[in-house]
Amino acid sequence: MKIPKAKKRSGVKIDMTPMVDVIMLLLTFFMLTATFKAAESEAVSVNLPKSVNTDSVKIPAEDVMTILIDTDGDVFVDVDNYNVREKVFGNKFGMGLWHVDSTSQTSKQISPAPEVEGAYRLETGGSVRIVKLLNRESFEKTLIDLRLTLKNMTEGKSDFRIVVKGDRNAEFGVIEDLMAALKETRNTRFSLVTIIESEKEAQEE
Amino acid sequence: MAGGGFDAPETGGGRGKKKKSKVKTGVHIDMTPMVDVIMLLLTFFILTTTLSAPQVMQINLPRGKEEDKVKVDMGNVLFIRVSDKGNIYFSKGNSDGTEQRPELIVFEKMKPKLEQIYNANNDLMILLKFDRKMKYEKMIDVLDEINRSKIERRYTFLPMEQPDKDIVISAGG
Repeated sequence: MKIPKAKKRSGVKIDMTPMVDVIMLLLTFFMLTATFKAAESEAVSVNLPKSVNTDSVKIPAEDVMTILIDTDGDVFVDVDNYNVREKVFGNKFGMGLWHVDSTSQTSKQISPAPEVEGAYRLETGGSVRIVKLLNRESFEKTLIDLRLTLKNMTEGKSDFRIVVKGDRNAEFGVIEDLMAALKETRNTRFSLVTIIESEKEAQEE
Repeated sequence: MAGGGFDAPETGGGRGKKKKSKVKTGVHIDMTPMVDVIMLLLTFFILTTTLSAPQVMQINLPRGKEEDKVKVDMGNVLFIRVSDKGNIYFSKGNSDGTEQRPELIVFEKMKPKLEQIYNANNDLMILLKFDRKMKYEKMIDVLDEINRSKIERRYTFLPMEQPDKDIVISAGG
């Protein structure tokens, strides 16, 4: 009896349960750690510079004021709080655009927005953002307004942290003007976002 | 658990399908399709997760007003000027208010040079003067190099003015 049984070709059954358990764990891990970019993602894509040393501080998760600098010399100011956006920019998808060089205008494709007076529509990567054109003076005012609005809404409990995301090919002049504006509005603490690069990589370059 | 409602009487000598259905066996659910789907999800999440999470470099600008300027002994000052081409020039200040000739520093040599200068003078104060036409990346590189060096991080940004540009140009641009 035993010999025919051994020869009998039965489908080998591997118990997949442990594997499924492990995979489920991995899946849960990746699902929880995945940071979804907000639907109306970043206004402009910036190529972040690399650095070896950082203060090992991650970008704060909420109450972030993001200042984006692109290669055209445009500075975007955006916050992650819809209500603050609505109050300051008049629209939930509003943000500010400051073209640093006052002698020229932004080269972005913008068209007047019917929703908000004096604002423009900026189509970026499939989504539409309402931008308010700012100059140096109104940019500084906006910075103050944004922070005050959030402070008033939360009764002073939270405050924006400023994160600067500059394109690596942006001109320093733009950063210099931005820093001057930040300093003027007493925003003397801010963070420059970089992509971390290991010591080894840096040496190889 | 499953098939609990069945009464499975022992029918002796029974063979074939009839017996199989009646015998209490652990119900085997074919997990293959589920595993397939889970694998797909897993792959998706692994691929979309950004591993090189961006980090930040903290910058603190002096809070004071323009009027209350801090007097610094020129002897402790190190000027780092970066030209529009991205060339880095170091020049040390002298106590009498003048400054030494600018020295072109290769980027790789910046860190040891900084440490050497700092070891000679622990009150070192770095004044950064970057050309407006310079790339932002270069600024990060220079700051990164200062942060990496084993020196006290005391630096401040100053605008690059015409005399600075002249100094840089006379040293080679």
